[in-house]
Amino acid sequence: MNRQNETILKVDDVYLSYGHVEALKGVSLEVKRGEIVVLVGANGAGKTSIMESILGVYQSRKGTVTFKDKNVTNLSADKIVRKGIYLVPEGRGVFASMTVIDNLLLGAHHNLKNAKAKLTYVYDLFPILSERRNQIAGTLSGGERQMLAIARALMSNPEMIMVDEPSIGLAPKIVSDIFKILKELNKEGYSILLSEQNVYKALKLSHRGYVLETGKVVLTGTSEELLINPEIRKAYLGA
Amino acid sequence: MEIFIAQIINGISLGSIYVLLVTGFNLLLLVAMIIHFSFPIVVVLSMYVSWIVLGLTGNNIFLGVIAGIVSAILINIITAPMFQHIMKKRGDVDINSTMVLSMGIGMIITDFLSHSVNSGFPIAFPDNLTGRNLGAFFQIGMISISRGDMISLSMGIVFVLGLFWILYKTRAGRAFRAIAEDPAGAKLVGIPILKTGLQSYAMTGVLGGVSAVSIAILLGSASPGLGDQLGHKVLAVSIIAGLGNLKGGLIIGILLGILEALVQGYWSGTWSNSIAFVVMLLAILIKPKGIFGIKL
Amino acid sequence: MSLPLYYFLAITAVYILMTWALYLPYRVAHLHFIVVANMAISGYFGGYAAINWNWPFLLILAVGLILGAVVAFIVSIAIGDAPTFAVVIVGFTFIYITKTVIENWEALGSTMGMFGIPMVNHVLLVAYLFVLVTGFFIYRFDNSRLGRAASAIFVNRELATSFGVNTKHLGMFLQTWAGAIGGATGVLYAFIMNSLFPDFFTFHIIGITMTMLFLGGYTTMWGPLLAAPVLWGLPLLLPQEVASWKMIIYGVLLIVILLVRPEGAITRQVAARVRSIVLRR
Repeated sequence: MNRQNETILKVDDVYLSYGHVEALKGVSLEVKRGEIVVLVGANGAGKTSIMESILGVYQSRKGTVTFKDKNVTNLSADKIVRKGIYLVPEGRGVFASMTVIDNLLLGAHHNLKNAKAKLTYVYDLFPILSERRNQIAGTLSGGERQMLAIARALMSNPEMIMVDEPSIGLAPKIVSDIFKILKELNKEGYSILLSEQNVYKALKLSHRGYVLETGKVVLTGTSEELLINPEIRKAYLGA
Repeated sequence: MEIFIAQIINGISLGSIYVLLVTGFNLLLLVAMIIHFSFPIVVVLSMYVSWIVLGLTGNNIFLGVIAGIVSAILINIITAPMFQHIMKKRGDVDINSTMVLSMGIGMIITDFLSHSVNSGFPIAFPDNLTGRNLGAFFQIGMISISRGDMISLSMGIVFVLGLFWILYKTRAGRAFRAIAEDPAGAKLVGIPILKTGLQSYAMTGVLGGVSAVSIAILLGSASPGLGDQLGHKVLAVSIIAGLGNLKGGLIIGILLGILEALVQGYWSGTWSNSIAFVVMLLAILIKPKGIFGIKL
Repeated sequence: MSLPLYYFLAITAVYILMTWALYLPYRVAHLHFIVVANMAISGYFGGYAAINWNWPFLLILAVGLILGAVVAFIVSIAIGDAPTFAVVIVGFTFIYITKTVIENWEALGSTMGMFGIPMVNHVLLVAYLFVLVTGFFIYRFDNSRLGRAASAIFVNRELATSFGVNTKHLGMFLQTWAGAIGGATGVLYAFIMNSLFPDFFTFHIIGITMTMLFLGGYTTMWGPLLAAPVLWGLPLLLPQEVASWKMIIYGVLLIVILLVRPEGAITRQVAARVRSIVLRR
């Protein structure tokens, strides 16, 4: 069974606007099963907008999103989560007034059946969360919150995880830890769509990448190709 | 001293009613994001439904209580789509217009009650519901506690504890709290916002129904104007505590009950009711954002 | 002039003024029902002064206006910048306390009501002059720098503050102005009806004026001007059995307009279109 090259997510010519502001102007991209795909681009290029339109937070004006060969365009977010996509939002998006375990269980909100087993699984991956399970999430450090957000995503039984700007506001050492975790998760079979401003680290981690500018894909290729692309080096890698 | 103790106890049971109402009101505010000013008016309508059913069934307590609770749930569920329509249309919730909508609902209910039921005269609940004819539950000197006090107090405790258990120990409660903290974030983690909102309407309906029965037992009567007065006090309690602050609502609700009971115990007369209002007015004027902080 | 027509016109003026009094603070999202209490306080004061001290009508009108403004101003010091719901509950509480005081005050007729407020000439004329003057000033306000600042506050209080708008002062100004209108209207009402009842100044009048404001449209001053005669006149034309349900009719209309046309009948666009048509001719 060769599922390695099967396309799990396909975004086709998606347009999205907030009021009069056009955030996406015909974006197309795809993620294959078992891949890490990175979205690269400046603030406002449309990275978060792509993730939010995939998740169905905002209704796109035009275009289709296909997940596992099913059209999921403009389904509501809770339905898309059930289908197996989960977003780890920028700024972690943990509920600061609730306990760690409450936050984790929220990840499994749509399906609490195997919650116990899933909890054991994420505690195994993140022992620190097990220690702090009854602590209020607002008291966690930035790195711990990011771990909590990723762990919460795993609680939902996803097949694809979207991680929006995980490195923002974290110390370099912790960013490396987070990236290591993402790599491990990918090895376990999760497909990952990552958006990142730390272009060098992200391309090192990922298989392929898309470069976005003002709501459009301007360049795409394997990570190796992008890493040696002169324009990328000039714009993002400071070389 | 004995009057003082007796009135404190009366005040706590009166306060337990405010607590039930305020908690329902706050729940709708936090989860469904509406200021349901007329929620207590809906509760009074349920009291009337209960009264009618009692009359029709020859004072069958069981059916009367069930009718009160079921009608409160139904009214809440029926009015929910109107609020949700406003929410969807505006994108961002315009919380002021939900309050005006709620006032419209209140106008209709109050006027309906003053026109159609019992010719607008106050209604009295039968003794076998209120237990008035059975005398005091216990009595030591001047301190006498009626059965109505005991029942409404214990109902208040049981249901408020139950509510907090649901909020902190169940899946639905977790979703409620998540939406209350961050509606946008709750959407991202896959919580169905409208459906969860609807659950909160149903749960508030249960609280409303229980409050209806509790008020019927404690006061023994109702009038069309009762809803306005309660609505007024409940909004005031919620604001003084800090809008949406559940634990603050508990404290201020009980305090208001005690204040009213003490005032009635020492200065009886038509003025007594307005003392509570003066105190509430001062509290709001001094701290318009509440004592324990707004949780919205 | 026939008596029914006289009362229709006079009470219409009262409702236009009261709805404008609600409209002004609502420019900054304050639904300020204290104006109903102002109406009661100044109305009863006016009646008392006319009966017992033989004060002339116009003096009472002026003092009633100032009385309303002072009461609203004092309250506005605390809630000039408060959230909407706090303003609402302050208004309700004020009405309740005012009503309780009146009902327990023998000299004001307590629950029986106050009778024998003298008839004076030209009340109707004075009322409509007051409508004209008030309307003129509201028009000037709406088309001024302050009016635009108020609109900004309505949409987003924080943002307006960042533009350098003093939200508290503007809120206090509008609340005080509304209180003045409420007070003067109370005096007008007392001299139109020649009697006052505490039950009038309650949720009844709140419901009517609120429906007028939201049905007519709360974004321009023209909404109340149109809605007041229509909503007040309609039940007068209906048969008695239907008209006695008028609060329910108002409630249903209020809900329907919120669901179907949240900004009311006359929105800013409608007002602008009408203006352009009128100006072209």
